Order: sequence, then structure tokens, then C-alpha cells
Amino acid sequence: MNRRAAVQRISLLMGGVALSGPVVSGILGEKTHFGDSVYATPQQEKLLAELADVIIPTTDTPGAKAAGAEQFIIRVMRDCHPMDEQKAFYASLDQFDKDSKAAYGKNFVALGNDQKVAMVKKLIETDKDFFKRMKNYTAVGYFTSEIGATQALEYLETPGRLEACIPLKPGQKAWALG
Amino acid sequence: MANLNLKATKENTYDAIIIGSGVTGGWAAKELTEKGLKVIMLERGQKFDHVTDYENATKPPWEFRYNGKLTNEQKASHPKLSRDYPYNEMTEDYWMDDSDSPYKEVKRFDWFRPNIVGGKSILWGRQSYRLSDIDFEANAKEGIAIDWPIRYKDIAPWYSYVEKHVGISGERLGLPQLPDSDFLAPMEMFCVEKEVRKRIEKNFPGRNMTIGRVANLSEAKKEQLGIGRAPCQYRAKCNLGCPYGAYFSTQSCTLPPAAKTGLLTLRPDSVVTNLIYDENSKRATGVRVVDSVSMDVRVYNAKIIFVCASAMASAAVLLNSTSNRFPNGLGNDSEQLGHNLMDHHFRTGAGGQWEGDLDKYYYGRRNNGIYIPRYRNIGNDKRDYLRGFGYQGGGRRGNWMHNVAELSFGAEYKKEATEPGGWSMGLGGFGETLPYYENKMYLDPKDTDKWGMPLVVFDAEYKENEHKMRVDMQNDAAEMLEAAGVKNVRINKGESYMGMAIHEMGTARMGRDPKTSVLNANNQVHDVPNVFVTDGACMVSASCVNPSLTYMALTARAADFAVSELKKKNI
Repeated sequence: MNRRAAVQRISLLMGGVALSGPVVSGILGEKTHFGDSVYATPQQEKLLAELADVIIPTTDTPGAKAAGAEQFIIRVMRDCHPMDEQKAFYASLDQFDKDSKAAYGKNFVALGNDQKVAMVKKLIETDKDFFKRMKNYTAVGYFTSEIGATQALEYLETPGRLEACIPLKPGQKAWALG
Repeated sequence: MANLNLKATKENTYDAIIIGSGVTGGWAAKELTEKGLKVIMLERGQKFDHVTDYENATKPPWEFRYNGKLTNEQKASHPKLSRDYPYNEMTEDYWMDDSDSPYKEVKRFDWFRPNIVGGKSILWGRQSYRLSDIDFEANAKEGIAIDWPIRYKDIAPWYSYVEKHVGISGERLGLPQLPDSDFLAPMEMFCVEKEVRKRIEKNFPGRNMTIGRVANLSEAKKEQLGIGRAPCQYRAKCNLGCPYGAYFSTQSCTLPPAAKTGLLTLRPDSVVTNLIYDENSKRATGVRVVDSVSMDVRVYNAKIIFVCASAMASAAVLLNSTSNRFPNGLGNDSEQLGHNLMDHHFRTGAGGQWEGDLDKYYYGRRNNGIYIPRYRNIGNDKRDYLRGFGYQGGGRRGNWMHNVAELSFGAEYKKEATEPGGWSMGLGGFGETLPYYENKMYLDPKDTDKWGMPLVVFDAEYKENEHKMRVDMQNDAAEMLEAAGVKNVRINKGESYMGMAIHEMGTARMGRDPKTSVLNANNQVHDVPNVFVTDGACMVSASCVNPSLTYMALTARAADFAVSELKKKNI
């Protein structure tokens, strides 16, 4: 069933009430799950949020955790990747936490900031593919979130005109769209 | 009972039936209703209202769940559509489900079939170019296939006619191989493109680079403002439907004037399975429709029928319209129906980095690139293949993804990602494919879809001429970019399968001789004079330019002819 048919069906169930986009997305959220998937545990979710926040920390603008980037990562891994890739991803994540424990006697989420940074540096050496995937989805999740797009970048929904060859303004942030 | 049937027949009777509501169906609706005909336009897709149904066009990125990425479910339910980018999270509802409407492939064919009113006029790339006499004469000069029954002078006034209504933005060049349209102001090039243009034109005399000619309103004139269209807002979400009506679609451009006449009935959810032929009158009397939702079967009758279902679907409907007189499909005495299938071959070229202009940026998202008109096998240039190619491409400045592949992280990485990246410049060829009789689609003898329509089988491929051309498409692109000062130029040898360019055409070609063609010079089916096919099926050769503008002009021309024949009582 495509989304529109699903929306029509839901709308009928709800007595034809018009639903907003996000509400519909929420209702349809379960539908997009397909087949076997790895569901992140609450601990894994927290770990992903902390790791993402080291990759994109809060600076003069909020970071990945504030933007909820881990929700994007979990969703894309669960719904868009084949099972073997999901398993490999979470195995790497668990290994990363074990390595933290081995190095500092604590789970990653409980480490101090310098220790977290040291662990991510080590991760790049021990599991580059996992780091790259993690970084990629952190970036996409963050820069397409409302916080990332509108605070870290310059967000302009409707430019209204085109100027294709103009000087870069001092301090100009990259466009969030396009 | 007899009376009831008579009444039903009368209610289902129109002056004209149009099959399809896309680029050509919309034009047929506008022209025929404005000439006073009572018209029904049958669309197999679902209702898709102007503005209010463009829900995804106004959503911010955070309201999408996967940033456009396909889910496992989508890949499983759309095994064919999910092979390429046009089907994605944002456009999912716009396309037909593979599972509802399967097709078969002797050779791979990527068939993109919209499931909405407006069809591909909503989803198209909007690049708009005129064919030239170099195109119209090529088959005859080279002894390939058959000659076009028309020349540039026959279609030129119709190009002007449709361009004035549509609004084509572009730059006049005065080239014989790419005649100028009646243009709106051209869109501006990026600084890098301006410089690359200068250097290509200096280093390679006879080659030109211009801004893409595009059916977006760089400015809105009276013709456009009068039907509720506004100028382009540079949001670059065109293919989701434009809430400003700033690019050509059926909804923005041809439906409003047709609706205004009060003579148009638009019926979505209507799968036309076949035309009905009457041996006594030697005319098609109507079409058979299956309602895609209720599965009810209806018959609509009319004096004339415009088949505008898109090239493959139009041929399929005609092939499925069998009778004693036409056992192999309506108007198929020539046995050409479904044959001579063409598309443009593409996805190959080159790209690289532009080290300058770090102090330059842009405002607004230009959903258009640059264009390099064909220069191969023109004038004194002779290659080891026939015909040629044009390039589409352009410059771009890296966004927040520009440093994502690096191993950096933390505050410094974040700062860098929020600043514009470097510039790059790329060129991708669009090459002409020759018409080969053996490149074909046909109907499966036994399997049908859920509406009873026989499945289409594709058996078409690119051949030696196209493969030789692709070598030039790669090397020329790299050579021009290098000469222009682009660094780290890399050749891109992407795969191109039939259908992927979504410029499929040629399956009911025009011609002078009924023995070798399906349609005459006015897009009229030989021997069934009240049936017209004006979509890409009519093409005799492919040219290398994007074809939709030509379909529009041919449709307006055929509609004019059809109504004048109707008035003369010839049909």
C-alpha cells in the first residue's frame, strides 16, 4: 500500500478528519518497518546519542544529541539496511562500548569528554567502516534536523530569486537546502 | 432496456477522448476544448490536484523520515522502480506500484510510470529544446529506418505557439543544430560555469556552452500570470509539484485553460485497455475503460481519439486493440507498432574540482544546469558513428556533506561542515540512439495485470553505434574540462539501460508510407483517420535533445489538423 492510500485509509478510520503531516508520519511510522530488524535497546540508543554528540558536539549551536540525530540513525539502520548490515552495525557499537570499558572501566556514556574523544580516535583505527557510517548518518540526521538545518546552517525555504555568481559574505554559512 | 442503453451511450459520448493527462494529453485537452470540442480526458493515475496535493513540496527536510533513502519495504515492493533515483521517499506516491502493474524484461528496461493526473509533466526534468533539420533529415541522408514525413518548417510555428504559453527560459545562440526557442530571460550561470564556458569556447571552436533551456518561468508574462502562474521561486523542488505553478505541468499550464472552457471532463482512475474499431465506418468509435478502483468496465464514445498515454503505454493500448480488420493491433498494417523503440543513452561523462571562486557563492536554488549543444558529426566533423550527443551538467559548491567522508569529527569538523565547500564542475552526455526495428516492446500472450491489460515485454538494447558514441561522450567531457582548468578530472562510465533517461519513444512512428509507418505526417493513424498518437511513440528518430517540447508542438499541430478535418467532415 502506498502512503497516500494509507493516509486515505487512516483518514477514513478517523472519520475523515484531516491529519497533519507529522501525525500521519507517526501513524505510518510502524508501517515502514519491514521484515526482521535489529531494534536498538535503550542503552544502545543512549550510546548512539552520545557517540553522535562527540562527532557533532554542541558549540555555538546545539549538537547532534540535542537534534535527536540518533533517532535518524536508528530509523535508517532499521528500515533501510539489510539484516546483515544492521547486525554488523550494532555488533560494532557493542564492541565500541566494550573497548571503552576495557580502556577506562566505564561505559562510553559515563566517560569524560577527553576520554570520549580518545575513544573515537581509537575507533577510527580499529573500525573505520563503522566510524564512517556513524559519521555519515550523524551528519545527515543532524543537518536535516530542524536544529541542524536552521541553526548550524542557513535555512531558506523560498529564496524567490536567483543570484548565481555573487561574493561570499563574511561569516556566510552553507545553505541548508540544495 | 434498449432505451436505458441508449441513454448510457449518450452520457458516455463526447466529441473527443484523450487517453492520458501528461505532457501531450494536457496539450490535447487545451487545444481541443479551446476549439469548442466536448472532451473527456482519461487518466489511469489517481487525482492529483494543483497545489493542494503537492504536500511534499512544502515539507522541510525534518518531516521526511529517511532523507529520501528507500526503505527495505519500498525496495521489496518496487523491485524495478527502486533501481533508480526517480522513485524515492519524496515521490513514492507519484509512481505506479510494480506489484500492481508488472512488466517483463527480455532485456532490462526501466519503465517509469506515474500514477497521478499530470503524469510525467509533474515529474519531468523540464529541459526544453527544439529539434532541427539536421535531426529531421538524418534518417533519409544516412539511409537509416525511414524518413521523417515533416521538416523543421512544418513544426517551427508550433514550437513558437507552445513556447509562448509554456514559457521557456534560455539564451539565444543562433545555432543550426539547436534552433532558438521564443525565450524568457535565461537563468544565470555560476561564476565557475561562466569561466569554463569562456575557456571551452576559446579552446574548441564550434562548441558552445549555454544555460539549460528550461520550462521554468524565469519571468512570468501575461500569458502565464493570466492562468494563475507565478515566476520561479528557486526552491528546486520542481518534481514534487510547484505550488507557484512556475514550471510547465498539466496542472499549472494546460488544465486551467481547458477547464475554463467548461468542455472538459477529467476522469482519473481510468485504465484504458483498448480502442473499439467499427468495420462499417472504418473508424474507432470509442475506448474501453476499467475503473482502477471499482474495477467497473465502461465504454466511452467519441468522434476522435487522441492517444497520449506515453510512448510505451500508447503502443500497448493500440497493440491490445485487435479486430478482424486489425488482428495485430489498431493501425498495425505495417507491423511497426512496438518496434523502433528508442531512448537516450546517458550517465557518462566527466567531472572534477574547480579550485577558484572560493569567495563566490549564490542565492537561490537553480534547478537547472548548463547545456553543450551537439557538435559531433556536424559540418566537417566526421566520427566512426552516426549522430551525436549534447551535454548537461554544471557547477556546484559543496554543502554540509563536503567533508563527511573524511575521518574528522568534533567541533572543528562541525565548523567546516557548516561552511560552503569547494566548487566542482561536471558534464554528462545525452546521446542519440538509432531506431532499430529489433528494439521492441510487445504484449505478453497470456499474462495480464489486475485490470486485465496484457503485460508489456521489453526487448531493446543499445548497440554498437551508441557504444562508440559513449567513448566520445567520456573523452570529450574530460578533455574540455581539463582544457578549462578543472582539476582532478575523472571520467564517469555509468551504466545506461533503455528507459532510464525516461525519453522512451518511437513505438508508433510517423512516416509517409502506410507500409512502413503507423502514423502519417499529422500524427493520424494510417487507415483509422479519427485516431491520433502524439506522444513520444510518434518519433521517427530520437535526436539527442530532450523531447517533451517536440511532443507539445506536435500535439498542438495534430489537434489543429484534427479539428479542421472534423469541420470538413473528413473524419
